Amino acid sequence: MMRIRSFFLFRKYTFLTFVVLLLLLALILMSLRVKQRKGVDFFDALLIESCSPFLKASTFVIHTIQGIFQNYVFLVSLQEENKLLKQRVVELQKEIGELRETALAKERVQNLLQFREKISLSMIAAEVIGQDPSSWFKSVTINKGEKDGVRKGMAVISPEGVIGQILKTGPYHSTVLLITDYNSAIDSVVQRTRAKAIVEGKGESRCQLKYLLRTEEVTIGDIVVTSGLNGNFPKGLLVGEIRKVEKAGQGIFQNAELAPSVDLAKLEEVLIITESSLPLQEEKVKNKKKTIGIQKKK
Amino acid sequence: MILPLFLGIFFITLQTTLFTPLSIQRVRPDIVLVLTLYLGFSCPVISGGIIAFFLGYLMDLFSGNTFGLYTFSRVFIFCVAYFFKDRFYLEGFLSRFLFAFSLALVEGVLILVLLNALNPKLPGHLFPLFFNILLPQSFFTGLVTPPLFSLFNRGLLPLSNRHGVR
Repeated sequence: MMRIRSFFLFRKYTFLTFVVLLLLLALILMSLRVKQRKGVDFFDALLIESCSPFLKASTFVIHTIQGIFQNYVFLVSLQEENKLLKQRVVELQKEIGELRETALAKERVQNLLQFREKISLSMIAAEVIGQDPSSWFKSVTINKGEKDGVRKGMAVISPEGVIGQILKTGPYHSTVLLITDYNSAIDSVVQRTRAKAIVEGKGESRCQLKYLLRTEEVTIGDIVVTSGLNGNFPKGLLVGEIRKVEKAGQGIFQNAELAPSVDLAKLEEVLIITESSLPLQEEKVKNKKKTIGIQKKK
Repeated sequence: MILPLFLGIFFITLQTTLFTPLSIQRVRPDIVLVLTLYLGFSCPVISGGIIAFFLGYLMDLFSGNTFGLYTFSRVFIFCVAYFFKDRFYLEGFLSRFLFAFSLALVEGVLILVLLNALNPKLPGHLFPLFFNILLPQSFFTGLVTPPLFSLFNRGLLPLSNRHGVR
C-alpha cells in the first residue's frame, strides 16, 4: 500500500522534479560556458557535424529553387505569346543564367585568389552554409572545420575586408562570429591619423569605435584598419569606414560609428587566416618606402 | 519523440537558411519557438523537455551566443507552456496568436535579462532592439502559430500522445 502511495506521490512530483532538473542542467551549462567561454566541446562538434549536412542540403535546395525561379517561373507569362519562342527563350535564359552564375562565381574566386596572392598569408577558403538562427546574435556557419586546420579565434576575411573570427569549431564545420556582433572586439587604427581604437559590434550592420581619444581628429569617411595587436588579425586589414563622429558629453573618449567594408548580409565565400606572422600589404608598402629612403640616404 | 526532434532540426535549418534572405530587417518568425510551445501542450514532460533542451542547445550552437541562453530559455518556455496546457483553451486564431506572441516576448525579455546579468559590459543599444526586432518578431511568430499548430495537430498528433492543442 505504501509502495503504491509513494509511486503516486512520485508521479505527482515528476513534472516538478524533471523541470527543476532540466533548468538546473541548463543553468550549469550556462555557468560552464560563462566561466570557460566554451561549451562541451565534444557534443558541440558532434551536433555541428550532424546538423551541417541539413544546412548544406537546404542551402543547395534554396539556391536551386532560386535559380529555377530566376530562369523559368518569372518568364512564364511572357512565354504564353509564342510557344516556339517560349521554348527558345527559356533555354537561352537558362543558359545565360548558368553562364552569369559561373562568371560571377569565377570572378569571386579570382578576386579571392588575387587577394590571397597579394597578402601572402596562409589561408583557407570556405563557403557560408548558414546564418544565425536568432535575431540577437550575428554569426554564420561555414563548411570548413578543425580537419581543414581551422581553430577557434582565427581571423575570417574577404577581399573587401574583415568579416569576423572563428567562434566554435567542429571537425568539418565552424561558426564565425561577425564583427557586427556585440561580443566582437578588434584592435584597430584609423588609417589617416593612426589613432588607436577598438572596433566593437553594434548589431544591424554597424560597429562602433571605442576608446578613441577625444583629442584624435577623425572625420566621416576615414578608413579603419586592423592594428595587428590583436594577434589573430594581421596589421592593415580593412575593417570599415567611419560614418558618424560624436564628441558630445564629457570624458576622454569620443564616439564614432563604423560601417563594415564587407556586406555581411551577402556573404557567400570567406577566407580564414591560418597563419598571421607575415606582414600585410600596408606593412609591405611601408617597408618598401623605408628601404627606398635608406637607399636614397646612402 | 523522433519525429518532433527531426522536425525541430528541420525548422532550425529553415531558420538559418531559407528565412534569412526572406527576413525584413532581420525580423523573421521563430518557428522553433512555436514547435517548443506545441511540445509543451502535446508531449509528455520528459520527452518534450528533452527535445526542448536539445533544440535550445542547437540554437545556441548555430548562433553567435556563447552563453547557452537558448538552452535555458527554451526549457523555461516549454515548462510555461506545459504548466498552462490545461488552463488555456487554444482553439481559435486569436488565442493561439496571443499565447505565442506573449511567450515570444517573455523569452526575449528573459534573454535580455540573462545577457545583462552575465555580461556587465552589455552595450546599451541592445535594449532598443526590444522595439525594433523583438516586438515585430514576436508578432510574426504569433501570426504563424495558428496555422502551424493546425499542421502539427494533423502531422505530429497521431504519432504523439494524442492530447493536442485544444
